[in-house]
Amino acid sequence: METKGIFSVRQWTCFGAILLVLGVVLPLLNALFPPEHALHVSNFALNLYGKYATLAILALGIDLLWGFTGMLSLGQALFFALGGYAMGMHLLLMIGELGQYRSALPDFMVFLGYEALPTHWRPFYSFWFALAMVMVVPGLLAAVFGYFAFRSRLTGVYFAILTQALTYAAALMFFRNDFGFGGNNGFTDFKTVLGHDIHAAETRRGLYLASILTLAGVFLLFRWLVATKAGQILRAVRDGENRVRFSGYDTARYKLFVFVIAAMVSGLGGALYVAQVGIINPREMTPDKSLEAVVWVAVGGRGTLLGPIIGAVGVNALKSWATGAVPELWLFIMGGLFIFVVLFLPGGIVSLPARIRAWWLHLRPPARPDPTPAQPPGQP
Amino acid sequence: MQNGDGRCPVPVLSFCDVSFHFCIQFLVTSLLAAMPALAADSALVRTLLAPPAEQAALIRGLLEAEDDRIRPTLEAWRTGEVFIHTGADGTRIPFLLDGEADASGARSAVAVADGAPLTGPDGRPLVLLSSSLTAIETNAVIRRAIRDISEVIGLSDPAPDVRKTAAERLGMTQRADYEPILELRLGREQNAGVRRALEDGLALIRLSHGSIEAKIEAIRVLEGSNHLGVVDQLKTLVAEGEKEGVTPEVIRAAQRTIISTERHFFWVNFFGTAFRGVSLGSVLLVTALGLAITYGLMGVINMAHGEIMVVGAYATFVTQNLFAGWFGADGALYDWYFVAALPVAFLSAGLVGLALERGVIRWLYRRPLESLLATWGVSLALQQGFRTIFGPANVQINSPAFLQGNVTWFDIAFTYNRIFVIGFAVVVVVGTWLLLTRTRFGLYIRAVTQNRAMASCMGVQAERVNMLTFAFGSGLAGLAGACLSQLGNVGPGLGQSHIVDCFMVVVAGGVGNIAGTVIAALGIGSIDQMLQPFLGAVMGKILVLVFIILFLQWKPGGLFPTRNRSLD
Amino acid sequence: MASGRRYAHTGRPSPSSLRINRPTHISMTTRFKSRFAAAALAAAAFISAPLTAQDTIKVGVLHSLSGTMAISETSLRDVLLFAFDEINAAGGVMGKKIEPVVVDGASDWPLFAEQAKKLLEQDKVAVVFGCWTSVSRKSVLPVFEQNNGLLFYPVQYEGEELSKNIFYTAEAVNQQATPGVDYLLGELGKKKFYLLGSDYVYPRTTNLVLKEYLTSKGIPAANIREVYTPFGHTDYQRIVAEIKQFAASGDAAVVSTLNGDTNVPFFRELANAGIDSADCPVISFSVSEDEFRGLPTKDLIGHLGAWSYFMSVDTPANTAFKNKFFAWLAKSTVPGIEKTGRVTNSPMVLSYGGVYLWKAAVEKAGSVEVDKVRAALIGASFDGPGGKLTVQANHHVTKNVYIGETLPNGQFKILKSYEQVYGEPFLKGTFK
Repeated sequence: METKGIFSVRQWTCFGAILLVLGVVLPLLNALFPPEHALHVSNFALNLYGKYATLAILALGIDLLWGFTGMLSLGQALFFALGGYAMGMHLLLMIGELGQYRSALPDFMVFLGYEALPTHWRPFYSFWFALAMVMVVPGLLAAVFGYFAFRSRLTGVYFAILTQALTYAAALMFFRNDFGFGGNNGFTDFKTVLGHDIHAAETRRGLYLASILTLAGVFLLFRWLVATKAGQILRAVRDGENRVRFSGYDTARYKLFVFVIAAMVSGLGGALYVAQVGIINPREMTPDKSLEAVVWVAVGGRGTLLGPIIGAVGVNALKSWATGAVPELWLFIMGGLFIFVVLFLPGGIVSLPARIRAWWLHLRPPARPDPTPAQPPGQP
Repeated sequence: MQNGDGRCPVPVLSFCDVSFHFCIQFLVTSLLAAMPALAADSALVRTLLAPPAEQAALIRGLLEAEDDRIRPTLEAWRTGEVFIHTGADGTRIPFLLDGEADASGARSAVAVADGAPLTGPDGRPLVLLSSSLTAIETNAVIRRAIRDISEVIGLSDPAPDVRKTAAERLGMTQRADYEPILELRLGREQNAGVRRALEDGLALIRLSHGSIEAKIEAIRVLEGSNHLGVVDQLKTLVAEGEKEGVTPEVIRAAQRTIISTERHFFWVNFFGTAFRGVSLGSVLLVTALGLAITYGLMGVINMAHGEIMVVGAYATFVTQNLFAGWFGADGALYDWYFVAALPVAFLSAGLVGLALERGVIRWLYRRPLESLLATWGVSLALQQGFRTIFGPANVQINSPAFLQGNVTWFDIAFTYNRIFVIGFAVVVVVGTWLLLTRTRFGLYIRAVTQNRAMASCMGVQAERVNMLTFAFGSGLAGLAGACLSQLGNVGPGLGQSHIVDCFMVVVAGGVGNIAGTVIAALGIGSIDQMLQPFLGAVMGKILVLVFIILFLQWKPGGLFPTRNRSLD
Repeated sequence: MASGRRYAHTGRPSPSSLRINRPTHISMTTRFKSRFAAAALAAAAFISAPLTAQDTIKVGVLHSLSGTMAISETSLRDVLLFAFDEINAAGGVMGKKIEPVVVDGASDWPLFAEQAKKLLEQDKVAVVFGCWTSVSRKSVLPVFEQNNGLLFYPVQYEGEELSKNIFYTAEAVNQQATPGVDYLLGELGKKKFYLLGSDYVYPRTTNLVLKEYLTSKGIPAANIREVYTPFGHTDYQRIVAEIKQFAASGDAAVVSTLNGDTNVPFFRELANAGIDSADCPVISFSVSEDEFRGLPTKDLIGHLGAWSYFMSVDTPANTAFKNKFFAWLAKSTVPGIEKTGRVTNSPMVLSYGGVYLWKAAVEKAGSVEVDKVRAALIGASFDGPGGKLTVQANHHVTKNVYIGETLPNGQFKILKSYEQVYGEPFLKGTFK
């Protein structure tokens, strides 16, 4: 099947309008209006939206795997965190001599008695190298793990459990001080990014904008990807992998491809996340972080590209609110939400309008005459 | 705290007078018949009522008053079970709680002095709850004195085993003040085993405190007795090399002792590791067995499996508290709470499983990935539920007496709770196997899990069988929780610390058969314990995980994959 | 068209449908996109709603009330709310009532940073009392430095940090670990040390310092063993077997920096293996009265603890504090608060002391402005339940240190006290 562009004109207009609101209007409201003004968007709020955008990127990666290809990976948090660590390494080196010990070495290295920077850290002085690593490291790990997993035809639940084990093992590894990545404290107290003060309002706006643009870019990329022939094969794999295999396609290769893409995208999200929240530590790569992200996708609606974004933003906004207002109910809310969505709303929030419409039509058939003639009663 | 030769002085009582004092005491106690009970009791009571600073010395003085009551009373004091009653006239009377506990757990108060029940102002016997009383305090020095004294008394116990243990432990203290006591006892001892223990004990003490000649003699005695405690000293001796009195021959003897001891402990560690591997494997097996049923047989990914175990653990906690309420926390029947807790844990976890199956899982049999997600939601809600009901903190579970302590054999401590878990694993696995293969219900389970449609056609109520199977698997998880409550903490997060391991065991064993689960559990447990000495606990755990991941790449179906011709 | 609809309904296309139908799908979802944008704007307005108050002082409380750390941190929230009520009942701070803003860090470190931002940027609190784990403190530290906030941190930690925006009422390593080891070396004459910890920064750092300290006291390296276990480790069989052999010579002690839950399986295993405190005492730096509530205390009798406060401290100040706190608890209407079986411990008392130190400084400075309060805090002191607390120029606090042994009732008996120990955060290298 031929692909004819990713959007119609109308869709491009909508997309552009939303991008305009999120990417231009909100930052302008933040920059131009004084804090007292009713239209002002606070630094805090903008920073929060930026964080949600990075989480939405993670959710998109999960959706590409789970919603479109039928592979539930519980390792996405690991890829996200690896991207975060790669960016964190750069940001940590950029602290320079502003750390606790006024040494060129990162604080934790000074403390552990490192004489010099380990070789594998040196290239991270370059922002562009770090940015490349943000995608290369998760991509490489995904390629190696995926190659073996798909070659031995690990699917479904097995795949989920093994990616969970991989994440768990990595988290234990990163928890160790000896591993040389700051132990459970991870990296924090960053000062500058690309020469700008990381806490300044302008830098935060820039990071927010970068997150929104990356999210938009990933959205477009996936939009295009699922419309290509490869995308159709992925969906075919989801619906019946053996049939696709029997049709002569090497499904393992397609799955590997999409697994690596999703890992790289997650890494990118992680890098932006770390720059905005200011900390990366092994807790970000625990299996339940992956599961939490899966919740966002399920709540928003998997198998669509808008669903994960809505889910990630919605659930996290709910979390921000609930942990402040009703902390002891938060886990009940999240657990209940999950059960509810799986049982009663498998299509997630994006399927709601169609459901409501169907329900509405069902409720008031007399108001609008049914186009199909009803069978007269009594007739065989 | 350091003197010239780099060794700290052991805080001993002044050598000469104390040991002499002990000698006399010992002679008195051994040679004379039992002293009048009254004298013993008043010495005991005096000790109990003395200011804490003087108590240690008075305890050592109790040897003069040989009486059967001293040892149990001191032991009770050590564990905080001796209390003070202030009478109407202001006299302070130390007492113990004795006899059967009543409904509230209270027991009657018995004076230490004469064993007579204490009476209250109204003339009625006092019945008290131990938790409402303040025990006579102890401290490290007092406890040490109590223990030493019970062992010195133990040296003249009629049972050779007690004498032997006492001699070993006194030797291990390497305190010079016990040398004359052991010597005296050695002169009177007939039993060969006890003699050997006494000789070793003496040698241990002399190695620390004796003259050069005594040390050399001690090395000769200790050759082949494999006391780890002396290796450090022998190594120092060897490192210092030849000097006055230490001939090359002595050094060679010391080296031989070091080598033989180290070789002995190589084997101790080898068999110890094997035991620990089996024991860890049994824990894994017990925790994973329920999952092997629900996941392996039914194909339901139950992420709330860990929380169902926690239900079992909390059920144990509740049973314990009920028993404490009914029989008192000191009552004889109290210890049996654990036996009663097992069925309670099984049933309560089974019921939770039943509710889970009816409420959530039965809609998701054809959607395993979604059952994973929904049950994860259930697990979160359950965790928060435990927090709401039982509080966020761990709850206190006291092991029954028969699960405390250990039996030491070949220098390996086989703890009773570990032995219990191993036995329990065997019983549960055999029971499950019998249920699945020898009963009608088991036949139904196998039929429904193998081909639901066909089983339904044959008149099996598939839905009901699924429901009961899931409840059974959950009940097994509840039993696992009861077991875990005897090994570690019980709190809302308990399930989370076991769930990854459980899944690893079931997946590595191969879905759908119990033999695979058994072998995988024991294998993973043993590998973990074997790796630990070399890599430490953290790297060991990581390597085990990596090993399982690699193993499954090689054998995606696990150890015993289910043979299946069908393809979706 | 049909398959698109069905998909939206059930979330699962029928297995045979390999057709993809885009247009309907997109028109449907774009409509949603615009709604989403509207919702986002609404959320923005909601979150950034301005909050002002004139006759109260807003004070932030930032602890985990859910998740794994709730087990310890909830007690700190309780004691803080108690302190605020107590101060308000006595007339408040400079005549103004304290208005607590309680947020939940949910044991999620980036969320701590987010909540700290919220407290400082939105609620404009004058001061924040909070954090338990070091990583949560590290996570919020840049936020406090950026917004020039003020944080009081109350839990023993590894040191190696000094921020102008944080006051560490917590025990530094030399106010807990080194006095504890001194007791083992001096009073108990121990010569071999088994350093056992959970594998994370606090135990690693403490043990690094302790190794230097022990070496400086003449303990040879061969007599020090350092062992770590992962978080949530449950199997201590091998480690206990090793301790048994290590302690065979009778002059060994275990220095434990195991955290939280792992203490239960460890002490169970230790007691069952027959290692008792008379032979080989364990001194723990992370086990306080609060943790005893979930430990089989029978297994811990005689093992040691080192803190700057014990519930058993026998002073009128402590008795009054305990009575008032428990009376407050009984009357409290805070949702979900535990009322029975409660105890007090060092982190709670240091939290409580922090509030009063802050109050003293505010009253001295005559303002809640952070720069003025910071200056006034140096040298401020408070006679608390555990003894006198004095803020040092390095933002740490001089305090008493107590060594205690565990009693069967889950309390400590004080064996030795070190009066007014100066808190020194940078210890590495000082004992060489």
